[in-house]
Amino acid sequence: MTSQASTFAVSVSSAPSPLRRRGNFSVVRAQVEPSDKSIEIMRKFSEQYARKSGTYFCSDKGVTAVVIKGLADHKDSLGAPLCPCRHYDDKAAEAAQGFWNCPCVPMRERKECHCMLFLTPDNDFAGNEQTITLDEIKESTENM
Amino acid sequence: MAISISPSSSLILPASWNSSTRLRASSSSSSSSSQLQFSVRTPLLRIATPRLPSSSSRPRFLPPVQAKKQTFSSFDDLLANSDKPVFVDFYATWCGPCQFMVPVLEEVSARLQDQIQIVKIDTEKYPSIANKYKIEALPTFIIFKDGKPFDRFEGALTADKLIERIETTLNVKQ
Repeated sequence: MTSQASTFAVSVSSAPSPLRRRGNFSVVRAQVEPSDKSIEIMRKFSEQYARKSGTYFCSDKGVTAVVIKGLADHKDSLGAPLCPCRHYDDKAAEAAQGFWNCPCVPMRERKECHCMLFLTPDNDFAGNEQTITLDEIKESTENM
Repeated sequence: MAISISPSSSLILPASWNSSTRLRASSSSSSSSSQLQFSVRTPLLRIATPRLPSSSSRPRFLPPVQAKKQTFSSFDDLLANSDKPVFVDFYATWCGPCQFMVPVLEEVSARLQDQIQIVKIDTEKYPSIANKYKIEALPTFIIFKDGKPFDRFEGALTADKLIERIETTLNVKQ
């Protein structure tokens, strides 16, 4: 479903504001920006899960912001926060199956997060924060 | 259709690229190697890098490079007609590490401009190419030599580490 949505999103994927005023609103929206509600849900989840697992956000919070938006986008389109850092044959099937729904099995079992969302303290890219605000998310992704 | 061109030598394939679409690379005096432009009316977009907190060692001023005009009809065509090894970045829009790599690849393409051509493929727009090369984790990088995959690795890395990897790989078989 999502891959079809991407193919049919005629408009430019990196210029959300002008597109929102045109037609094909739902198609464009699914491709371009996740809903605020889902972003907030995934933001809160990320903060809680980082605390719970003793992991930290990337020292470059832009990475964290993009992944949170990716999770929110899949939550909107698939009903589940499928990992945004993977390529899938069939996203709907994967979301239903669950292995790659965040927190994915590799993360739960081995604290392995290749999205660089949850980083163990020894990771070169790990920062020292377990929080991220909605403003931080918006600002670091406004140019996408 | 969305096309994105970054100021470096990277090509980002437009959405409807198939064998019947003709693409012309445009030259620009101040940008490096190949840029792609649709022959149909399509807005050209520059993807601006997300404003990330100032990272590393990225030099601000890099010397401009000559661009080349080329026409491709498919990804295979691009690979076959490249005179340099092709570095392909398989990415997705909402993949954090992939976006982290945007400025890294700009720097690498400037520093290695004679040695390699950088191409980015949006796996959501080109699922068939991604499936062909069995892409799973993102980002996945494949270095093509003589049109065939020569090296392959996953995950984000810094510009210095990436250059080290590319140079080591390309120097192995001489």
